[in-house]
Amino acid sequence: MTVFYAFCAAAIMACAVHMVLSRNLMRSLLGLALLSTGVNLALFTAGGFSSDQPPIIAAGAKALGVSADPLAQALILTAIVIGFALTVVLAAIVMRAWRATRSVDARDIDALDQPEPAAAEAEPPHG
Amino acid sequence: MLIILLVSLIGSCLFPIASRWLGRGAGFLMALLPFGLLAAFVASAPVVERGWVQGEGIVWAPSLGFDITVRLDGFSFLFCLLITGIGGLVTIYAGGYLTNKSKADRARFFTLILLFMTAMLGTVLADNLLLMILFWEATSILSFMLIGFDHKSFRARRAANLALQVTAAGGLALVLAVLMIGHVIGTYSMAEATTRGAEIVAHPLGTPILLLIMLAAFTKSAQFPFHFWLPNAMQAPTPASAYLHSATMVKLGIYLLARFEPVIAQTEWGRPLLVGVACVTMVVAAVQALRAESFKAALAYSTIASLGILVLLVGLDGPRASVAMIGFLFAHALYKAALFFCAGSVLHATGKGVLRSLGGLRKTLPLTAIACAGASLSMAGIPPFLGFVSKEFLFEAQLASSWELVPLAIAVLVNAVMVGVAGVVTLRPFFMKPAKPIEMLHGESFSLVTPPLVLAMMGLTISLDPEWITRVAIRPAVIAVYGQPVEVTLSAWHGLTPMLGLSAVVVTIGVLIIRYWKRIHLMLRSRERIERYSVESAWERALFRLVHGAARLTRVIEHGDMRGYTGMAVITFTAVAAFSMLASGAGLRVPAIEGPTRVAEILIGLVAVGGAIVAARSRNLLSALVGAGITGFAIAITFLFNGAPDLALTQFTVEALIVVLLTALLLALPLRSADTRSGREHSVDFLIAAAFGLVMFVALVDMAAGHASSDASDWFGRMSYVAGFGSNVVNVILVDFRAFDTMGETAVIAMAAVLAGSLLARRRGAARDEAKARTVHYSLSTASRLLFWLLMLSSVIILLRGHNEPGGGFVGGLAASLAFAVLSLAHGARSAERVLRFQPLSLVGFGLALCITSGIPGMLKPGGAPFLTHLWWEPGGILPKLGTTMLFDIGVYLVVLGAVLSFLFGLQKEAAR
Repeated sequence: MTVFYAFCAAAIMACAVHMVLSRNLMRSLLGLALLSTGVNLALFTAGGFSSDQPPIIAAGAKALGVSADPLAQALILTAIVIGFALTVVLAAIVMRAWRATRSVDARDIDALDQPEPAAAEAEPPHG
Repeated sequence: MLIILLVSLIGSCLFPIASRWLGRGAGFLMALLPFGLLAAFVASAPVVERGWVQGEGIVWAPSLGFDITVRLDGFSFLFCLLITGIGGLVTIYAGGYLTNKSKADRARFFTLILLFMTAMLGTVLADNLLLMILFWEATSILSFMLIGFDHKSFRARRAANLALQVTAAGGLALVLAVLMIGHVIGTYSMAEATTRGAEIVAHPLGTPILLLIMLAAFTKSAQFPFHFWLPNAMQAPTPASAYLHSATMVKLGIYLLARFEPVIAQTEWGRPLLVGVACVTMVVAAVQALRAESFKAALAYSTIASLGILVLLVGLDGPRASVAMIGFLFAHALYKAALFFCAGSVLHATGKGVLRSLGGLRKTLPLTAIACAGASLSMAGIPPFLGFVSKEFLFEAQLASSWELVPLAIAVLVNAVMVGVAGVVTLRPFFMKPAKPIEMLHGESFSLVTPPLVLAMMGLTISLDPEWITRVAIRPAVIAVYGQPVEVTLSAWHGLTPMLGLSAVVVTIGVLIIRYWKRIHLMLRSRERIERYSVESAWERALFRLVHGAARLTRVIEHGDMRGYTGMAVITFTAVAAFSMLASGAGLRVPAIEGPTRVAEILIGLVAVGGAIVAARSRNLLSALVGAGITGFAIAITFLFNGAPDLALTQFTVEALIVVLLTALLLALPLRSADTRSGREHSVDFLIAAAFGLVMFVALVDMAAGHASSDASDWFGRMSYVAGFGSNVVNVILVDFRAFDTMGETAVIAMAAVLAGSLLARRRGAARDEAKARTVHYSLSTASRLLFWLLMLSSVIILLRGHNEPGGGFVGGLAASLAFAVLSLAHGARSAERVLRFQPLSLVGFGLALCITSGIPGMLKPGGAPFLTHLWWEPGGILPKLGTTMLFDIGVYLVVLGAVLSFLFGLQKEAAR
């Protein structure tokens, strides 16, 4: 199962990277959201698949028996929430970019920065 | 002496402030500082004339070898006299020269000149080489500011830049040399470096050290090929030119070479190199001096030639060379400064600087004419002036040293040219008839006339009565430079000697040059090749190419294409990871198969991959969103299958919220737009993604195989109930054991909320939003109220049960925001806001405050526990255990709710605009 999940995580991340490389801002954003999902799965793989018991201490017991890795789950939980916050902040930025340029192409945003290609180079000084 | 330096520094800053209110006498008041320092130095004369050395020091940074040590020996003493004496005269002159500038500008000039004087004093007094570098660079920078004093003029700025480029490059060379010296002999003391010269030369770094020191000296003293900055520096106001570029700063290179002469003498190539460079410089400068059009330019080139002579004298061996060097240094400072003063007076009085158009000024500027004549006679080497004495020493040194004819011939020619220049510079403006009558702006003034007269007089009187200055300054300087006692007699007449013969030859040729100057000058000017192949134009061209090349390179690297940057990052990461995996040489470990493979999980995993592929391939953004959502849900189910209920809950709610939020965005954007990547770019990206995926796959498999049960997880499993009083280990880790991290994360979410809130609309778009909401299907609008309360209730239950069962603040907050999302989808953002009652950002703030305060009671406990130690209270009976963790969790809940709602309302309103 570990090899299979590693494959799934790698495949998801590969698709996500392909989307991130797009110049379309929205597609890039969706790619980032997908990438964080893939990474969470990869983190989960790090925890190991030795058991499918949730890490909850049984009633009456004082310690955790055999179960899935609680530490990996704690880390992934915050990663999910923060990845979500990141996605939404980027969505706000894309929204503003759209309002400003009426386009979702990154090259149009970049064009806002550079007013003109470099002005014609001056002649080298004569001797 | 450290006190003197300190007084000089503070005085340079304070004295000029007074000049803002004074009128014409400002220069005299300012001159009190330099003359006061001169008096202080003269008071040390009895020490120096005995050949003793006075030193002081403060241990400042012993581990770096940087101590503030100063050393006054004969050589430094001579320099200090020159610096302070001429500095005082320059200040007086400046008071009279800068009359047409504002008081503030004049004060700025005085400050710069006095600070420069301080920097020069520091350079010649410093014994610690690092300290000397500090002052050396200070002189470069102050020179830059003085040359560019008239900063509105383009030529002044250009000249200042040029000077700074060249002298700063030399300064860098000096820094390198000094650091290497420190490495070789272990100390930065200059005195040590000169006594241990053999050690330095024997070391493999010895040659670079000496070459760099010579480089630094050549840039500062305008030797070929670094001479071109000095004529340009004539853009500075004349008092500055007189001080810096004739009398003091340019002599610093000579100072450095003279100090390191014992070290240079240990190599076979040192002396020939110095002599060679000096000869080339002299010839080039002599030609250019005859070619120069303006008064100041002619003087500048003759200064370069004089510096060439001084370098030549440093390069010659023997005691006579040291005598000649000191004598010439002294005489040159006196007459050159005087000549510059006269040039400035002429410029100030007539507004013209070009030699060919000046004439007949002896009637209108009589005293200046006398001073100019006196200085020129000294420069031409006519007895009984001091210049004659120094020229005699020069020829004596050349004849006495082991050198051949060529340097001697060059010296004769160059001195002849100097005679010519001296003659032209005096005779033309003052004694010959002008081509056209000249208009005078004003006559002579006291401050403009006194300094040159004083210097010219000194040139005569010292030569006639040299006793005091020889005893106090010249002889100790020679001894300091040569290292052994030397007989020095300055007298105006040495008898009939070969040197006298040479001087006669020089004067004869010089007179010829004066006679035929106009013809020579015009012939040289018409040769434009001289200018085209000059070092200055080569330097400018090189600099231009450098700047434009850098701009081109920047355009290649900083191309502005988002895909380019991201692609480069991914490629680099993949390459580095692949390389380190291959280079480590370890084999791939494959984890053992644990248990039977479950078909359901494999199917769900494949659904996840399928969703990702759909998202990547679809051209329509909505399908891409759906694809990403499918992947998310499939992953959530995977979490469920593998014993992570908390994660599954979180993932489900997050996916639902992402769909709601991004749909609001997608309503505004075009769903299908032109492909932003060409077919070829698509293929490249496919390869990049495939390589990345492959590397990640291999890495994950290897990592999972090496995975042993982690000690940390075991510890948490054991302590969770006992120390944290909770059964849900994940939640206990989040809110108790690792509460500080979680607080950091809630802070991040809060910041994201503020950020998105500032980017998105807050008030506008309300009316359209309402109108849109009424078009929702009635089933949603009726069910929404019920769903809302159901979801809110479940969110509270999730929050409260989190400590012992799956749930917690994060999930609860997300569920609550889902509730509001349903409400706002059905009835519009406005009514959802009304139901909320509070501003979402206030919820965020309140939640964060709650998180922080939940950690404080633990600190107040007697005994003092760290921040975020949670406390528990067991009331017993039917009431459950209560703890501050609940406060923390509620804080998290509120932050998540507030943040998501601020995103949600903002995006909905923004989309409705």
